[in-house]
Amino acid sequence: MPPQRPLSPFMFPTWYRFQLTSALSILHRLTGIALAAGSILLSGWLVAVAAGGELFEVTHAFIRSPIGMLLLFLWSVAFFYHLCNGIRHLGWDAGYGFDLRSAYRSGYAVIAASLLLTVVTWVYVLLA
Amino acid sequence: MPDSRSLSNSTALRDGSVLRRVQHLGSAHNGLREWRLQRSTALALIPLGLYFAASMLRLATSGRLTAAQWLSSPVSALLVILLVLAGLAHMLAGLRSVFLDYVHTRARLVLANLILRAVTAILAGASVLAVLKLFLGH
Repeated sequence: MPPQRPLSPFMFPTWYRFQLTSALSILHRLTGIALAAGSILLSGWLVAVAAGGELFEVTHAFIRSPIGMLLLFLWSVAFFYHLCNGIRHLGWDAGYGFDLRSAYRSGYAVIAASLLLTVVTWVYVLLA
Repeated sequence: MPDSRSLSNSTALRDGSVLRRVQHLGSAHNGLREWRLQRSTALALIPLGLYFAASMLRLATSGRLTAAQWLSSPVSALLVILLVLAGLAHMLAGLRSVFLDYVHTRARLVLANLILRAVTAILAGASVLAVLKLFLGH
């Protein structure tokens, strides 16, 4: 039986007004979970490369398929966002940027940087 | 009378008494070790992750260089092993805090953490073995 005590409503999206800071916060967690799922694929890929032969061919064909490329794209978005916002978190851990103005500024900077890194990456992959 | 120091000065990095307050008689218990593990692996993953992403790009765009060739060089083999270990340790700390927030039954929490540890150990072992096989095979 869960204890019958008052609970605060979940922060999104029905009860509270949208805020950039809380949206980025939950996005950090969601991309972290997505990257954890991606780590299974990374391990699988390493094993396939080491095994070689048919297993590698199948894996390689999957990565090159539309679904594989979509997964790779989503992985890159999650990776760059988690990286940029993680650096923002490390700044907070060191005591910088706690005030509201800085939190919003760094939030917009994180969005811009992760979008830029993702676009540059895929332009490079698709053109090179 | 508000505290004359700003909030941002009261972090464990700047003020030793913050650390003492949460350790020992504080409420953090082992949490501080996990907090540090998450941060130190995060720092390590900045260069390792960027190196890995750049290498993936090179592999994706290069017609000749194969993944097996890339992993047979000592530098890339070492860095990929470090990436996998730091990444999985970071994942373990992160998912454990997600479980702590959303799994409310003690038994389920213990079970979820056991499964998480088992999966992480298997992923780490399989990845390191795979890289070692490619590295030692050449």
